[in-house]
Amino acid sequence: MTTLMKLPGKFRLGTGSKKPVPNSEAHLAEQLIDYQHQDDESLVACVQHGEEAAFDELVRRYKERLYATVYHMTSNHEDANDLVQDAFIKAYKSIGSFKRQSSFYTWVYRIAVNRTINFLKRRKNRNHFSLDDIDGAIQTDPDFVELMSHVTPRREAGLTELQARLNEALQKLSEPHRAVVTMHDIQGMTHADIAKVMKCSEGTVRSRLFYARQQLQGLLSDYL
Amino acid sequence: MIMDCGKAQRLLNELTDGRLSENVARELHRHVEECTDCRVARQRAARLQQLLALKRFEQPSSDYFNTFLNEFHQRLEVETAPHTNLWERIINNLAIEPVRTWRYGFTGAAGVALAVVLIWRAFNPPDVTQSAEAQQTPTPTPAHILASSTLPAPHSTPQSIAAILPDSSRPTRAESRTSSAGNVVIVPLAAHNDTSATRYVLDSIGITPASYEVASIHF
Repeated sequence: MTTLMKLPGKFRLGTGSKKPVPNSEAHLAEQLIDYQHQDDESLVACVQHGEEAAFDELVRRYKERLYATVYHMTSNHEDANDLVQDAFIKAYKSIGSFKRQSSFYTWVYRIAVNRTINFLKRRKNRNHFSLDDIDGAIQTDPDFVELMSHVTPRREAGLTELQARLNEALQKLSEPHRAVVTMHDIQGMTHADIAKVMKCSEGTVRSRLFYARQQLQGLLSDYL
Repeated sequence: MIMDCGKAQRLLNELTDGRLSENVARELHRHVEECTDCRVARQRAARLQQLLALKRFEQPSSDYFNTFLNEFHQRLEVETAPHTNLWERIINNLAIEPVRTWRYGFTGAAGVALAVVLIWRAFNPPDVTQSAEAQQTPTPTPAHILASSTLPAPHSTPQSIAAILPDSSRPTRAESRTSSAGNVVIVPLAAHNDTSATRYVLDSIGITPASYEVASIHF
């Protein structure tokens, strides 16, 4: 598979009116720019017709969102990295059988979430956190500012402790409940999208969300 | 319509998701303003959302996503690499050309064959040299010895006897034994009898008998 990561910085576009030689760097660079303007469906079609480089663009588009979902479900950076990489590899290998009945985004999300839920079931009772750092931008976030303004001396907590307690509480939820809270309350996905990813009804999503929030309120009562 | 607390708290969940119609939302707000429990519940639900929002600020290191695609390609290459059998993997690991490997194989096989032959020879010593020598120099019999050389004197020493014996029948250092008295000479039977097995006979005894005296017996 062509590694398009090497292309930026090596682009040699604008070589007169000459048509780039197939598979040359210029040709691949043109392809890369072309892929950036294509929608998911076209990119999937390209990959299915043998243009493997088109898959790079799909990875580029969804790696961050997929990583965030899996990371919030596992509270472990290394596990999240492995699971997301595995999900993309699985998607790449199975893309020939992808019938485009749902969007690529929903499909790859489903692969990642299912793999993560299976992984978490196997990893039961082995909660090892490997938390990412908190971005400094949080200090100016209105939600954070408001939250901290309510913190009484009794509940006074540093940001790191707050992060640890929040992750602990999330890990106490069942895997489907955690997945729903992650996708809705953290990532902002709609009930309909979550229902498609988890292959369940929207009512089930709402019900899981309700019980997960109730449980979290109990676990984090000191901070609410 | 009067809204009970159970229904109000379920609807608070929907309110958080922005799924309530205007009328229901207005009625819920009215109830919450009048009900302390539901007001607290609304406050807690809002703070939980603020707390969960902190998770969005947990980010991996800045270069993590820059190297993500490279790592993906590396993993994909490993995953899609054709599976090799054990023999091919050994060859690949050794980085030896297949032709050279065959040479090593033949060399090894020859070495094994040589070792087998040597072991076989060690456990089954050949009689070829003995039989050849036997053909050339027949084993001397007592008759030969008597005919061919002068007999040793009755009081010959072991050395003098050994000197007249042919090499094959000459007693070795281990075979030529002398008694503790130093006067008993033992020579191989080969000098006396034609048998293949080495046997020893008492050739002469040079022990001077001690005088025996009857001990006085006192009662």
